Amino acid sequence: MDIAQERDGEVVIVRLKGRLDSIAAPAVEEALSRALGGVPPRLAIDMDGLDYISSAGLRVLLVLAKKVQQAKGKVTLCGLKPNVRDVFTVSGFDTIFSIHVDPASAVAAAR
Amino acid sequence: MLSFAEEIVLLLLDEAEGTFVPVPESVFGVVVVGAALMDLAIHNRVDADLEQLMVVDGTPLGDDILDDVLRRLGKPAGDLKITQAIYDTIPYVEEYKSRALARLLAHGILREENGRHLWVFRTRRYPVIDNAEQHEVRTRLRQILLTDEIPDPRDIALICLIDACHLLAFVLSPEEIEAAKSRVEQLRKMDLIGQAVVKSASEVQAIIRYAASSL
Repeated sequence: MDIAQERDGEVVIVRLKGRLDSIAAPAVEEALSRALGGVPPRLAIDMDGLDYISSAGLRVLLVLAKKVQQAKGKVTLCGLKPNVRDVFTVSGFDTIFSIHVDPASAVAAAR
Repeated sequence: MLSFAEEIVLLLLDEAEGTFVPVPESVFGVVVVGAALMDLAIHNRVDADLEQLMVVDGTPLGDDILDDVLRRLGKPAGDLKITQAIYDTIPYVEEYKSRALARLLAHGILREENGRHLWVFRTRRYPVIDNAEQHEVRTRLRQILLTDEIPDPRDIALICLIDACHLLAFVLSPEEIEAAKSRVEQLRKMDLIGQAVVKSASEVQAIIRYAASSL
């Protein structure tokens, strides 16, 4: 699992590449926690390189969403591949995340 | 912190009578096994996707219920359907129920009287383990069910288990259950193992209804 991070103004962009499963979950959770530094936190997660997400990966995102909500921040997602999008639809995670087509719109929505 | 199996066994005990509320044994089995699977997922021993359940780490946790379920699931990297894993493990539920009850007795949350398990009402004599924990769980679940607050994974697991045995009335009033229908629908989808538990419990109840109607 590759995790890259950059900043666009007040928004932290995290790019995930590979498989977000129980093996990768701890590292992703740590990286996302570090990205929550802003007050309030503003995150855009680019999942264009994400090939797979499991239940453990969903838990990481849920914990992140809860932290962001408590801090009155914003988190947006973009670039979901069809199989990843299916998991979000079936699990109802598409109802708690703002999902966008590309990084530009995800960053704009996170501002 | 209680395991999900202990939580659900405790929830299924009638506080006044000290006996189990009337939930079909097979549904009870689905829920107890489901509770163990969700605990194993929280402890990173199993993982799941839309297709299957995977054992990702076979290392025992030192919990005689979870370790037994983990051992029965098979070797790490073994893949199986979540519902199949539930049905395969149901034959051992009576043993898990006994172990969960024994732990609740050992914790001082229950006492046994004339062969019956009863709640300890003198909670002030047990300041660390008393009914406050259960009260807090119900208060937290009410907060999640009746607002748009994002739940944590433990809350979702408990809501799935409670919903699978149609015991939302333990947490919400009839009016609140009606008002929270879409919220419950949303929350019970959010754990892939929880989804399978709810589905399996529904299937079992449908079979029971069919069998009863055929008599």
